[in-house]
Amino acid sequence: MIAFKYTKTDGAEYLSHLDLLRHIYRTMRRADIDVAYSGGYHAHPRIFLNNPLGTGIKSVAEYGAVESTFAGDFMEAFNSRSPDGVKVTKWAYVKENPNYANCIVKCTYTAEGIQPFDIDNFLSEKSIVITDLRGREVDIRPRIYTVERRGDRLLFTLGCGENNLRPDLFCSYLEKRFGGHAEDIIKTASIMSGDEFV
Amino acid sequence: MTVNIDELKDILLKVEKPSRYTGGEYGEVKCPPSPFYFCMAFPDLYEVGMSNLGIKIVAESFIKRGYAADYCFAPYTDFGDAIKAAGVPLYSLALKKPLAEFDMIGFSLQFELCYTNLLYMLDLAGIPLRRADRAGKKYPVIAVGGPCAVNPEPLADFVDIVFIGDGESVDADVAGIYLECGGATEEFYRRAAELEGVYVPALMEVKYDKEGHICGFESNFKPRRAIVCDLDNAIFPSSQPVPNCESVFDRSIIEVMRGCYRGCRFCQAGFIYRPVRQRSVETLTRQACSLIASTGYDEVSLNSLSTGDYPHLRELLRSLKGSLPEGVTLALPSLRVDSFDSEFAQDARKISLTFAPEAGSQRLRDVINKDITEEEILSAAESAFDIGYSAVKLYFMLGLPTENDDDLKAIRRICDLIKSAYGRKKRAKSLRISVSVSTFIPKPFTPFQWEAQCTGEEVERKQNILKQTLYIKGVTLSWSDYFTSRLEAVFARGDRKLAPVLERAYRLGCRFDGWTKELKKDLWEQAFEECGVDPGIYTRERGTDEILPWDFIDIGIDKKFFARERQRAYSGVVTGSCKNACSGCGLQKKCPAARGEI
Repeated sequence: MIAFKYTKTDGAEYLSHLDLLRHIYRTMRRADIDVAYSGGYHAHPRIFLNNPLGTGIKSVAEYGAVESTFAGDFMEAFNSRSPDGVKVTKWAYVKENPNYANCIVKCTYTAEGIQPFDIDNFLSEKSIVITDLRGREVDIRPRIYTVERRGDRLLFTLGCGENNLRPDLFCSYLEKRFGGHAEDIIKTASIMSGDEFV
Repeated sequence: MTVNIDELKDILLKVEKPSRYTGGEYGEVKCPPSPFYFCMAFPDLYEVGMSNLGIKIVAESFIKRGYAADYCFAPYTDFGDAIKAAGVPLYSLALKKPLAEFDMIGFSLQFELCYTNLLYMLDLAGIPLRRADRAGKKYPVIAVGGPCAVNPEPLADFVDIVFIGDGESVDADVAGIYLECGGATEEFYRRAAELEGVYVPALMEVKYDKEGHICGFESNFKPRRAIVCDLDNAIFPSSQPVPNCESVFDRSIIEVMRGCYRGCRFCQAGFIYRPVRQRSVETLTRQACSLIASTGYDEVSLNSLSTGDYPHLRELLRSLKGSLPEGVTLALPSLRVDSFDSEFAQDARKISLTFAPEAGSQRLRDVINKDITEEEILSAAESAFDIGYSAVKLYFMLGLPTENDDDLKAIRRICDLIKSAYGRKKRAKSLRISVSVSTFIPKPFTPFQWEAQCTGEEVERKQNILKQTLYIKGVTLSWSDYFTSRLEAVFARGDRKLAPVLERAYRLGCRFDGWTKELKKDLWEQAFEECGVDPGIYTRERGTDEILPWDFIDIGIDKKFFARERQRAYSGVVTGSCKNACSGCGLQKKCPAARGEI
């Protein structure tokens, strides 16, 4: 199996997860990277991606894995046939499916444009309740791990997977509370329970 | 100037399928600076336009000559309204260049219900809709082409140039003249109008008599349809952009033939693409392989009006099977499924057959010259059932000339025969038949171009007959909305007097008229009323001595041939396929079949 880290930028941030999967599959076909199929009546290519990223959020830290016997330079082959915004930046052969959808537990993002606020004070709060996209009240405090300011940008780590908090939702909460308008939200790192490539 | 996608973020996040508007497709056109910028515009959604092969051929014809060609599709109303409110002009997909900055915008007209979308796109681009309001100012040349261009008169006041016929060469020829003339000058239009395949509406005046009927055309030019004789060596884009989001035909398309041998009397495509021209097995195999390699698709569709008539079909399929990578599936015509299935992989999930008998009774099929018999359908269906097919789609038309109630009731008979063919053996699944009935629309340049379209009451009565006769287990019936068909009929055989109606309808809020949920019947009715135009004038039967609004265009086929075919229809006489004998439509000099080359 081949595991890889890739980007979703330059317009690709607007692709839906299903369309992205289709793009990656077609890129591999164009690049002559063979893809194994699942058995069964509705056979599907064995490509596994990490959890879907919200539409419009860029990322330089997406992860995926593909069942393939390809023996060449995967990054070079893939990138020579992929759309501009979807580029592999790192890859390795792995023994088994790393299951990135499960093992990525936190993600780090950066965003511009949020008004400066007292971060220590903010993080000392025990509970922060917001209304999510489905209209439910949720306490997001346990899903916020770190918040730092780096120059113009805010850097923050949020829960992913079971413990997910969408960065755009988090930013719009910060906008409402502290002012400003979040621009250019980018996922910069995916933090896993184990190693990146095993 | 270019539009920056990052600045549209707030809009893109609010709309459905934002990847329609971002560009960045794999294989998108890369344009070096060029003396001429052409925008291939498609007045329907991204996922519809991206499936269209014709626009890619036209774009390629510009690129091949060193010009820049980019695409633009009609944005859905959510995005269209948002960019208009934000003051962002409509832009092209790859270059992100505002449409108003192109030298020429060419709209592909696939069907009449996209006309309001053409105005919608011009409006979003900040370009005045009417030619008169653009005169003397620096705006792109507004061109149209595609099947509807054979009667472009309803659009005559909005557009500068009409491309009639095959777009492989003449469209880009016009760019050359444009550069020589230093822009869209009077000389440019005069020289363009001399080309085969070009019509310049400003250079023709339509004369009306006292009753308002057309009594003549005044022009120094006689527009003629452009015909590419050598399809095998015609331009074909060997790589094509791969859409960002799933398109309606998400696969590679090769064009096996252009034109159709059959001459069904209701079918405009069967006449306006004559004569039949073929591509060779070698060329098609090369094109299919190149497309599969450059796009990553895993299905090839063999397109033409009647792929089953391609004489080298078996050879082509063998060649494709031997050359395409393993696992690539082919879409085959249903009538021929049985003869090839053992040899070729089709998409395994495909379990549905599609037939278009168009009329229920043999009598009416003879009238419309639809050369398909019950036996053919049944034998094709039965062998397909044996290899696992369990669904049949049947297409019919309602309101055909000479149609009576018995013809409609005969649709039941076909369904019953298919059911009993299925029931002859024990099968795992139960059979599903879906019958889809559209309303007949008389089109220009067909033997039925003079016919009336059924009235609303008549259509409703006929639909009720079908609802009663087809109330059987396993059969679902669907029908097309009458108002949609009527609107299409009005514009298909329309003239220049429809321009104010079209503009008014757009201003009132009509667009995406081909999409059932978007069609605004009341606003269209209001537009007709306010402009004092009775749509009934356009759907009525036309007199044989009348000058028809499209008579000034030389499509290559004699009007007398159409009149002859109409009489044969009334007598129920079938005119056989051009493969068997030439019926003398007027294109003999350009027709390989007429020379015996099949």
